Amino acid sequence: MVTHSADPSATSAISEKLGLLHELDLFRGLTDADIAAIGHATTMTHCSPGQLLLSPDDPVERIHIVKKGRVRVYRLTPDGKQLTLDIYEPGTILGDMRMLGQDRLPEAYAEAIDAGVICTIGQDELGRLIELHPTIGLNVIRHLATRLHGAERELEAMAYQRVGQRLARKLIDLGQRFGVKSVRGTIIDARLTQQELADMIGTTRETLAHTIGDFRRRGLLSTRQQRVVIRDAERLLEVARGGDG
Amino acid sequence: MALDRLPAVTGAQMREIDRRATDEFMISVGQMMELAAAGVRAAANAELNSIDGRRIRILAGPGHNGASGLVAARQLANAGGLVDVLLTRPIWQLNTEARHHVATLMSMGVQLCVVPWDIEATKLDTALRDSDLIVDALLGYSAKGAPHGAVADVIKRANDCGRPLLSVDLPSGMDPDTGLAVGEAISARATAIIALPKTGLLSDAGRQRAGSLYLVDIGLPGALFHRQGIEFEQPFGGGPLLRLS
Repeated sequence: MVTHSADPSATSAISEKLGLLHELDLFRGLTDADIAAIGHATTMTHCSPGQLLLSPDDPVERIHIVKKGRVRVYRLTPDGKQLTLDIYEPGTILGDMRMLGQDRLPEAYAEAIDAGVICTIGQDELGRLIELHPTIGLNVIRHLATRLHGAERELEAMAYQRVGQRLARKLIDLGQRFGVKSVRGTIIDARLTQQELADMIGTTRETLAHTIGDFRRRGLLSTRQQRVVIRDAERLLEVARGGDG
Repeated sequence: MALDRLPAVTGAQMREIDRRATDEFMISVGQMMELAAAGVRAAANAELNSIDGRRIRILAGPGHNGASGLVAARQLANAGGLVDVLLTRPIWQLNTEARHHVATLMSMGVQLCVVPWDIEATKLDTALRDSDLIVDALLGYSAKGAPHGAVADVIKRANDCGRPLLSVDLPSGMDPDTGLAVGEAISARATAIIALPKTGLLSDAGRQRAGSLYLVDIGLPGALFHRQGIEFEQPFGGGPLLRLS
C-alpha cells in the first residue's frame, strides 16, 4: 500500500480512496502503482442523504462516479415538481457526459439517497490520466460505446423486445442447467462470451450488449467475469413470457 | 351477459393467447393496449356517468398492465378527465412501451409522479382521497406472489382512501387463477376484464374483490380462440364494452 502522509487519518482516507478506485470500471486493468498515482488526481467525497450532487447548472468539466450508496436522478416538471427518472446503484457514472461526448442527463438533478461516496474527476485530470494510462482511455471508449448502444436501443425498441424475450428464455434455460444458488442470486456457472450468447439467441453481439445492459439496469441480472448472475428470477420469467408484469 | 356463460382462462392460458396474437396473428401489443384502454375509458364513463371534469388518478405499475393504464390516462384526459398518474417505478426502469406512453403524457402536460420518491405519504393519501375515480393498473395477470415495495404500499393506501376503484383486467394483488389475495390486494368497485375473464374472477373471493364486471373487446379474432381450444362466440355485436351480470 502506498501512503503519502504520516497523519493516520489522512493515511486512512488515502487507503480508502485507493481501495475504492480499484473497484471502478474506469480504472479496470491498471496496476496498484497506477491506481496510487491516480488517487491524487481524483476527489473522493462523502455525501449525506438528500445532498444535491448534480444540477443542470453545474460546470460540465467534471464527472462523478457513484461508489457507495444510492443516488436519485430526477428532473423538474414545468410546474416545478420533481419526477424521478432513475435510482442509481454504486458503479454508475452520473456526471455530465458532455465532456465524454454525450449529454446523458439533460436537465437532470441528482441527489444522494443514502450516506455515500462519490468519486470526482475533472476534465483536465482525466485528459492527463489518459495520456499517462492509455487503459483508462480504452475504458472510456468502452463506456461510451455502451452508452451509444443504449441510445440506439431506444430506436429499435420493438426488435429489442423480441431479443429481450429470447435472452430471458435462454438465461432461464442456462440457469436451470448450470445455475448455482448464491446469496446474490443464481450464478450461471458457464463462462460465455457475449458473441457465444448472441449466437445462441440469433442476434448480434451489439444487440445482446444493449439487452444485457438494460436487464442489468432493471436489476434482473448482474455480470461478473463472463458469468451472469440472475438477480430477479421472477421478473426475468415475466420478460421470458412476454408480459413483463 | 352472465359471467359464467363466458369461457375463463388461467394466467398461463392468457399468456399463450397474447403470444398467439402477436406471433401468429400479427396483432401488436400496442394495438391491444389502445383497445384495452378504450374499454377502461368506457367503463370509467359508465361508473362516473361522465368523465368530463372528473378527477381521475391512474395507478400504473411497471409492466404491460401499467402501460395500458398510461394509454387509458391519455384517453381519459382527451375525454375531459382531470387525470394524473402515480407510477410505482422510476421512468427509466419502466419497460419500453410504458416509457413511450410516459413521454406522450408529459408532452400533454399530464401530471406524473413516482411513488415514493416524488410524493410524501400524507400528500399521496390526500391525492387519493381527492379522486372521483382511481384506476388500478398496477399488476396484470402475469404478476406472481405477494405485491411488495411501492406497489403494496399504494394498494393499501388506495383501499384505505374510500374512493371508487376501477381495476384493469383484475384487481392488483389477486391471484388470476384462484381469486385469492396473496398479500395486499385491491378491492375494486368495478373491473374492466380484458379479452376473457381469468378463472380467479369466477371464485367467490375473486367476484367479491372485483366488484361490477365489464368485458372489453381488444379485437382478438375467433380463429385465435379456436386455435387455443376455446369455443367463444364473441358477444361484442353491440360495442366493444359489455357489462356482465
